[in-house]
Amino acid sequence: MNEETTKNAGIRGTIDLAPRDPPSISDLTDRVHLLPCSIKLDGPSEISHYFKPRDTEVVVDGLSVKEAYFRGRKLLGATVPIPEGFKGYVLDKKKLKKGKITESLEGDFGQWESRAEFGNITYWNHDTHPSADDPLLRCFHWFSVADALHKPITTEELASYSTASEKAQT
Amino acid sequence: MSSVLGPMVYGCLYCACSYQKTLSSLNFADSKTLKEEKREELFENLKVDNCIGWEVDVIDPRELSAKMLRKLKVNLNEISHNSAIGLVRRVINMGVLLTEVYVDTVGDAEKYQIKLSEIFPGVKFVVSKKADSLYPVVSGASIVAKVTRDRALRDWVPDETADNMHTNFGSGYPGDPETKAWLEHHKHSLFGFPTLVRFSWGTCTPYFKDSVEVLWEADKEDEEGSRNGNGKRQLKLSNVGFTGYKRKTEDIESSGKGRCKFFQARRLELVSSFL
Repeated sequence: MNEETTKNAGIRGTIDLAPRDPPSISDLTDRVHLLPCSIKLDGPSEISHYFKPRDTEVVVDGLSVKEAYFRGRKLLGATVPIPEGFKGYVLDKKKLKKGKITESLEGDFGQWESRAEFGNITYWNHDTHPSADDPLLRCFHWFSVADALHKPITTEELASYSTASEKAQT
Repeated sequence: MSSVLGPMVYGCLYCACSYQKTLSSLNFADSKTLKEEKREELFENLKVDNCIGWEVDVIDPRELSAKMLRKLKVNLNEISHNSAIGLVRRVINMGVLLTEVYVDTVGDAEKYQIKLSEIFPGVKFVVSKKADSLYPVVSGASIVAKVTRDRALRDWVPDETADNMHTNFGSGYPGDPETKAWLEHHKHSLFGFPTLVRFSWGTCTPYFKDSVEVLWEADKEDEEGSRNGNGKRQLKLSNVGFTGYKRKTEDIESSGKGRCKFFQARRLELVSSFL
């Protein structure tokens, strides 16, 4: 993100991930679902009364498959942890003193803060079993690729790389 | 068949060929023409009749809707054919020596007969329209199926736990005022209906008028498919009014379009503004 911000000069904004009010921060672990459809609704609904995921006996690529139905369609999904060192956040526009939302100027991210956190996500496919080939799971590859590309190299690493390049790769 | 609520049930009845005459004296008739009490009575009678065997295939409404709304849609005829084939196979596997099978047709009778004969070469199939009023054995099977379905609906325990739900389903047929009232009362702007409802039925469409728009990738493919002249009939059956006016892939998910392969495969898009 940092890299992109500097590249696209003019795009500015802040995201405050520190819990605004530490004791009351909501932990949404086990409660975040990603559905394979776009729902044109932004607001609360009686999810737990209508959306009833069930465990199946099926395991694919080490993922315990769950099933659920939404609007007549069968969904197959799995709960996966957010990779170690990372966390999921629900962001909200930062409220200013008068309860006003920060203005977002053109090319501006605005100011955001974390409202809730989550340690896993349950994602659902329409009809197809979840597998390691699913885009969401493959997204997590980016973390290690990003590390390899952007993590500053320490002088020790540099030294060991020049002496034994193979070792440094592993 | 045209019930909008509950499981869909296919039934079969089997007996010795020599028993057919007796069968016609049991007053079986097309189950739809009989009163509920009469059907129940006939069902209880045939259950205790040692000369008659019967089987049912109960298709859960969730599975039914899901199949018809799948990415690769399965139409109702196919579901019905597969159910009948399953029943025939089940009876054969029990060791019953089937020689003649009478089937009420779904779709084109001749094609259906050929399909069945190819799967079960040793069996003579008679496939016809209105078989349930022409052949007592089919009438009997229709009673078994109807009674099983009615009981399943009566005893249905909904998955949903919303407070306002009740189980006065009526008959489950769309013309029934009680069923209509139940549908009206149980429609939900986000979830559509409880899973007891066969979502894929055209009867449901008017109830979804004011519901929240939900876009599915499968519908997009569907639309493209029908434009190419494929799957026209299935689309009509399953187009339940949930589909949007303007469908854009971007609305459904990120694509990573225009980025290198690594990002495209993972559908990782660069976000340059938040809303």
